[in-house]
Amino acid sequence: MLDAVILEKAGIPAIPIITDAFDATAGEMAQLWGVPDFRFVMIPHPLATLTSADIDRRAEELIGKVLGLLQQGQPD
Amino acid sequence: MATTTQSAATLPEAEGEVCIPINASEQIEFCYARGWTDGLPVVPASRFLVGEMLEAGSLKPDAVIADMPSRKVAVTAEKVAINAVMAGCKAEYMPVVVAAVKALAAPEFGLHHVASALSGPTIVILVNGPIAQKLRINATNNVFGPGVRANATIGRALRLVLLNCLKYSPGVSDRATMGTPGKYTCCIAENEEDHPWQPWHVERGFKPEDSTVTLVAASTMIQIWHYGDHVQLLRSIGDAMSFLGSIAILGRTPGAVVLGGEHTQLLRASGLSKKQICERIVQHTGRTIAELKRAGRIDGAVTPEDETRIHYALDTPEEVMLICAGSPIGALSMVMPGFGSSKTAGRSPAILIE
Repeated sequence: MLDAVILEKAGIPAIPIITDAFDATAGEMAQLWGVPDFRFVMIPHPLATLTSADIDRRAEELIGKVLGLLQQGQPD
Repeated sequence: MATTTQSAATLPEAEGEVCIPINASEQIEFCYARGWTDGLPVVPASRFLVGEMLEAGSLKPDAVIADMPSRKVAVTAEKVAINAVMAGCKAEYMPVVVAAVKALAAPEFGLHHVASALSGPTIVILVNGPIAQKLRINATNNVFGPGVRANATIGRALRLVLLNCLKYSPGVSDRATMGTPGKYTCCIAENEEDHPWQPWHVERGFKPEDSTVTLVAASTMIQIWHYGDHVQLLRSIGDAMSFLGSIAILGRTPGAVVLGGEHTQLLRASGLSKKQICERIVQHTGRTIAELKRAGRIDGAVTPEDETRIHYALDTPEEVMLICAGSPIGALSMVMPGFGSSKTAGRSPAILIE
């Protein structure tokens, strides 16, 4: 979340992908940076134990959603 | 039996009678209720004690000690002083606590990575220079253990700053899976008496008469018990730095080695320089790719070539922070592998104590 917020502040569109175990953590960081409505995509935890093929599948499933949010942009 | 409404920390010493601060427990509970503690009771921070702390540091309350952009916070001297009081510090410890907070903000330390990591490392505060003796910061017996006020409270003050000023709350912004007991407090001094090499701060370009604080993030602490020769000892240290479950093994995150007295003397007698010792430790952090694959640390089937291809947990001798501390008795040292999966965080520069 922090990286995405910093990228957005630098003018680079960003949509963070967060596993659901980090929902509160992401929310706290967004609040801290004054962007409580920062858009992000939530996926099930865990991620680190997935195989490369599983991660490719996840990416395929998410790509449309991420692109859609990138086009919408973050709230002002 | 006399009673008073002062906090326990401000009571005058009275001979022949016991003063019971009737509201001290209420003040402590007040701090608990607001989430200001690490789980242990804190010393209620009266204005008087905070003022003493600021005076000892020659600091104005609103002086900014460290700007922490990732947490959107500028930590002021008053906030540091309040947390130092709550941790139980004597006022004279304030300059050390202030230097430690400055070290937290050093970009090389990577505060957010360290403080939020699942691996939940201990932040070890290393104090070098004459201030360690002046403040009686322990560098010898039971150096990581309990019993010495300076070590216990300086380390705790830094954790309270992380909790209260930087809002690294467990389960929210501090996402440690296990955490470590060292997250309550961890402060040591280097044993610079009769040091075989240069102490850490001198190695980093400071004068011996300077005093510094350096932070290092340690995922765990592994004791090396070893009565062999120096070649065997360095092999064991390298092994501990590269155990197969270490989070740091693939990212080559810098680590630290604290040599106890008998190991220090063994290595002194070897005639090796500090750099040569660190080079040998790095060489002994090698694991075959086959080992790493069998342990699941690298994906893929083991090939015959994997049995001879070596991955090193550390790249260069500069990644080993080699310091001397602990009792002169006992062939024991402490190995502290790095905390993360990248090289870019986990050790601060040495910060001058002013």
